[in-house]
Amino acid sequence: MAVCVAVIAKENYPLYIRSVPAENELKFHYMVHTSLDVVDEKISAMGKALVDQRELYLGLLYPTEDYKVYGYVTNSKVKFVMVVDSSNTALRDNEIRSMFRKLHNSYTDVMCNPFYNPGDRIQSSLQINTDLTSACHRGASQRSFHVRVFQTCSWELPVSPHTAPEGLLVAGPSMAW
Amino acid sequence: MSVPDYMQCAEDHQTLLVVVQPVGIVSEENFFSIYKRISSVSQISVRDSQRVLYIRYRHHYPPENNEWGDFQTHRKVVGLITITDCFSAKDWPQTFEKFHVQKEIYGSTLYDSRLFVFGLQGEIAEQPRTDVAFYPSYEDCGAVEKRIEDFIESLFIVLESKRLDRATDKSGDKIPLLCVPFEKKDFVGLDTDSRHYKKRCQGRMRKHVGDLCLQAGMLQDSLVHYHMSVELLRSVNDFLWLGAALEGLCSASVIYHYPGGTGGKAGARRFQGSSLPAEAANRHRPGAQEVLIDPGALTTNGINPDTSTEIGRAKNCLSPEDIIDKYKEAISCYSKYKNAGVIELEACVKAVRVLAIQKRSMEASEFLQNAVYINLRQLSEEEKIQRYSILSELYELIGFHRKSAFFKRVAAMQCVAPSISEPGWRACYKLLLETLPGYSLSLDPQDFSKGTHRGWAAVQMRLLHELVYASRRMGNPALSVRHLSFLLQTMLDFLSDQEKKDVTQSLENYTSKCPGTMELITLPDGLMLPPVPFTKLPIVRRVKLLNLPASLRPQKMKSLLGQSVSTKSPFIYSPIVAHSRGGEERNRKTDFQWVQGDVCEVQLMVYNPMPFELRVENMGLLTSGVEFESLPAALSLPAESGLYPVTLVGVPQTTGTMTVNGYHTTVFGVFSDCLLDSLPGMKTSGSTVEVIPALPRLQISTSLPRSAHSLQPSSGDEISTNVSVQLYNGETQHLVVKLENIGMEPLEKLEVTSKILTTKEKLYGDFLSWKLEETLAQFPLQPGKVATFTVSIKVKLDFSCQENLLQDLSDEAYLGDTVGSVPDNHNGISVSGFPLCSPFRQVVRPRVESKPVNPAEGSRPGDPGHVKTLEAILNFKYSGGPGHVEGYYRNLSLGLHVEVEPSVFFTRVSTLPATSTRQCHLLLDVFNSMEHELSVSARSNEELILHAGECQRMAIQVDKFNFESFPESPGEKGQFANSKQLEEERQEARGLEINSKLDIHWTIPSLKRTGEASVEGLLNQLVLEHLQLAPLLWDVLVDGQPCDREAAACRVGDPVRLEVRLTNRSPRSVGPFALSVVPFQDQQNGVHNYDLRHAVSFVGSSTFYLDKVQPLGQSACLGALLFLYTGDFFLHIRFHEDGSSKELPASWFCLPSVHVRALEAQA
Repeated sequence: MAVCVAVIAKENYPLYIRSVPAENELKFHYMVHTSLDVVDEKISAMGKALVDQRELYLGLLYPTEDYKVYGYVTNSKVKFVMVVDSSNTALRDNEIRSMFRKLHNSYTDVMCNPFYNPGDRIQSSLQINTDLTSACHRGASQRSFHVRVFQTCSWELPVSPHTAPEGLLVAGPSMAW
Repeated sequence: MSVPDYMQCAEDHQTLLVVVQPVGIVSEENFFSIYKRISSVSQISVRDSQRVLYIRYRHHYPPENNEWGDFQTHRKVVGLITITDCFSAKDWPQTFEKFHVQKEIYGSTLYDSRLFVFGLQGEIAEQPRTDVAFYPSYEDCGAVEKRIEDFIESLFIVLESKRLDRATDKSGDKIPLLCVPFEKKDFVGLDTDSRHYKKRCQGRMRKHVGDLCLQAGMLQDSLVHYHMSVELLRSVNDFLWLGAALEGLCSASVIYHYPGGTGGKAGARRFQGSSLPAEAANRHRPGAQEVLIDPGALTTNGINPDTSTEIGRAKNCLSPEDIIDKYKEAISCYSKYKNAGVIELEACVKAVRVLAIQKRSMEASEFLQNAVYINLRQLSEEEKIQRYSILSELYELIGFHRKSAFFKRVAAMQCVAPSISEPGWRACYKLLLETLPGYSLSLDPQDFSKGTHRGWAAVQMRLLHELVYASRRMGNPALSVRHLSFLLQTMLDFLSDQEKKDVTQSLENYTSKCPGTMELITLPDGLMLPPVPFTKLPIVRRVKLLNLPASLRPQKMKSLLGQSVSTKSPFIYSPIVAHSRGGEERNRKTDFQWVQGDVCEVQLMVYNPMPFELRVENMGLLTSGVEFESLPAALSLPAESGLYPVTLVGVPQTTGTMTVNGYHTTVFGVFSDCLLDSLPGMKTSGSTVEVIPALPRLQISTSLPRSAHSLQPSSGDEISTNVSVQLYNGETQHLVVKLENIGMEPLEKLEVTSKILTTKEKLYGDFLSWKLEETLAQFPLQPGKVATFTVSIKVKLDFSCQENLLQDLSDEAYLGDTVGSVPDNHNGISVSGFPLCSPFRQVVRPRVESKPVNPAEGSRPGDPGHVKTLEAILNFKYSGGPGHVEGYYRNLSLGLHVEVEPSVFFTRVSTLPATSTRQCHLLLDVFNSMEHELSVSARSNEELILHAGECQRMAIQVDKFNFESFPESPGEKGQFANSKQLEEERQEARGLEINSKLDIHWTIPSLKRTGEASVEGLLNQLVLEHLQLAPLLWDVLVDGQPCDREAAACRVGDPVRLEVRLTNRSPRSVGPFALSVVPFQDQQNGVHNYDLRHAVSFVGSSTFYLDKVQPLGQSACLGALLFLYTGDFFLHIRFHEDGSSKELPASWFCLPSVHVRALEAQA
């Protein structure tokens, strides 16, 4: 399953980011943030290809010890990044692709919402995922987005808490005030 | 081999490693000055050949790395230079001994060594030695470079001999097996004769020779050797050495392809030495030529030399793509050995550098990813920091800025890891600063002022938090305050409520020790931290310069010739408006002025975005253009307040054009200067204002109480003070106005005008009157001085009665006889004050007529007076000081509110003819509407006492008025074309005249108040006519004596001369008239006896004829009477009815009745 899903704007700031073990969210922030280097690199390499033949799916961006980071870029340069548990071998490229496609459809739905300003953070009711039906504030299209994201995210298997060497250091010394 | 050298690059394979070390106590400064000089000699062209030697100097090299020297010869320490201090010959042997000890450390691999002795002079220093050089001091050692060159040449000789030695090993000789330290025990007891073993030995030796060739500057040879070695080693599956051979191949190819170098610093170093760029470009040539020069060396080596050098090079040298493939292969070979971790890591680093040059970031990142996972032994904290830093650097090299920043941050965190006893906060902070670009974060708040923040707020905030914390631990609170302010200012939208609270609380803690300033903080490494003004705490939405209060507003005196007309255009009016550009909008000038020395205000609409109360202290204005004394304010904004108006004040000290640039605040102990230009979403209606020179300030206080009434807003003027007074109708009161100059300038000019606000009431006489001269005599009024000014308020409203009141009164018995009887307009002399009844009144007093007769409008029945209100404004225009010179003045308005209570009413007015035709009686029904007893007195009459609510008639004998003799009323100057108005004017003038004659006063003894009463309003046409002296003046003379009211005496029997004289003062000719004299006797009982034929006889005709009388002419007719009996006789002179007299008013023909007393004839 995906442990983290992120939608990143053209200007490389997060529109939506959500990880399933919510307690160590910052780790995924860093992971997704650094993956943008690879995305940029791949996009610039792809730039030469013809626009209509362009593959939106970027494939594996980079593996870490515990996770694999996959990328997807829309024609409007909005990036989707998904982090999956590397121990989960059931996920093949095809599954990842279809997850991205679902995500892309949901994102399109959000963009269709007339109450959504492009560039704003995407509000998600995922925090209150116990009650999805009541959680929709901003219109039906967005609700479907939440539902789908929820489905994508909740396939199964929480992550084993192994940490990569750098992951160990993400937190650093406690920044207590 | 445990210490990786992360700085390694492919070129290092061709270098000779020389260690430079101090022995004994050598100051670091001295050592490094020498080290620097030594290391400048990094490249040597070897004598009589075109080969170039490259030297790598290290001042520190772990000996265990040296043990891997056979594996890769560039790891072998081949030269040692020892630097030492020695000041006396006595110490010399000891020093020399130390040198030997030092030599022992690297002894097995050293080709040659040198000892540089500083400070020793004398005998020992004289003796020439090759391995020791003496220098008197660190400054005086000019020959160091030369010595090093000599030393390197000696190294070259050894190297060359070794190379030739190894290369020419006969195949028959047993080739020793070269091995790395950890392999040694593996080969114990191995069959050394096996073919496999021999091949292994051969392969490894080939590789070694390749290394030596590369070091000796023979690139082409080395390529050949490496190729052979790869083949040999591959066949025996000697993976470690195969990797090394492949890496050697790659290194040689990289050197060939990229003469500029792959490791940034190393490449630069190469050029700064003796080598010229041209030489660097041709660097591959020397090796190639060597092949030609010394072909035997190759042939004897058992390798088929390809003498066609160009083809051979192309064949042997790897293509750029192959380099990477071979690197990959080499690394995968290394990875099979746990102990070769360092080698693998270094190979990865080298490959990444090559890929960076090739701009193949993706592959480079794969190599780096691999490098990350190479597990060395337990690293020390310092090594970890080094490792992460180098990873960061490499990621930066391949353009992965975010990844680079990530590792740099990890390195920074490592500096202060809990396991470190002395955390390096300084280093941590420095590293964190270096990560800023990777997180697209600049520390300049200006970059954030454009619209909403677009960045990865979560990671940026984290970084800022870490910067704050690190700078605090570094002991630099000013820095942490700056970072924390920055965090608060730029990330406000992303902070949760709790975070906002935490951040502000810690900011307050910091600022209590070190307040935040607006100064630029410059870090030791030159980074500038611009100040962070809190433009969002509070958010300012609108800035508006406020005009001065109306009473202080300066006004420009109208100059004679239109200075007000702008001189920009020669036209008085032009529809073409000069377009102002959009940019000027902000600096648009306001249309009002401020005055030097006066408190001026600027209104800001502020908004507190914080979830708690925000205390803003020391909030003031930032201005330019004029010296401005800002008076700071402190405010406390409630949590998440809406727009909240705040007024900032200040005093301009000089004159000129002033611009409000911004404001300053202190929030949470941080000073901020916020400029309006940099505020997003700011609305301003002009921030530039003209400051004019100082003007005096006038304060007025009056003898009357202040009033809460405000005058009608429609008046337009803004009233600074309102006073009110209650007066009875007809009363006069003096209003003493105290004028105090509370400003700093003398008050020189004062003008007073008044304006009576529109009132429904008709007002008689001057409401307000004053004499300014007395006040002006006290001028100029110095600051602090007081002048007085007296205004008399006279209220004289209509004294006539209202209808409803009359209606009310009519019920009362004592007026019953007159009320309701329609007055006889033609005959009657009794005309009531009813406005409704007389058609004339419609002409005279239309205003009363228009008033709807509505009892409800007034007060309740029986309450005669509803209070009437009069309002007026007194305007004081004043000026003085420099502002006066500039032509400005100020206007102060005093509102006056007068409540007029009714005093007396004249309910009815009528006339009675007096005995004399030149006089008449004016009858006034006076009604006391007050609750007090009052007395009314007219000119000559005695006082009339009236009780409350009482009505009495008052008769005043008045001389008739000759209105025509008065000058025409001032209104009659032709401007009233309307005859109605003209008539009204005239009426008023007459009323005034009559009133002044009557001089009616009332007094309330109990209140000690007096006032006038005026009949002006109630005199109507008929009454006036009666009061008026007729234009035809009739005089009757009896015996030549004018006879009016006194009885004329005559004798019985004597003819009495009777003369009727007519004086025409009307503007037209009158007559002729016929008069007949009718004598009668009044029997005093109402009976007039006209039958006097026996008692009176006429001498001549009883009818007189008067001719036409011209205007201003006079005419007389004579007759005579003869009284036959004594008695009192009256003569009634009648007009004969004819056409001409009908045209004239009846009152004109009012002849006196003549009273003649006939006495006994004298005996």
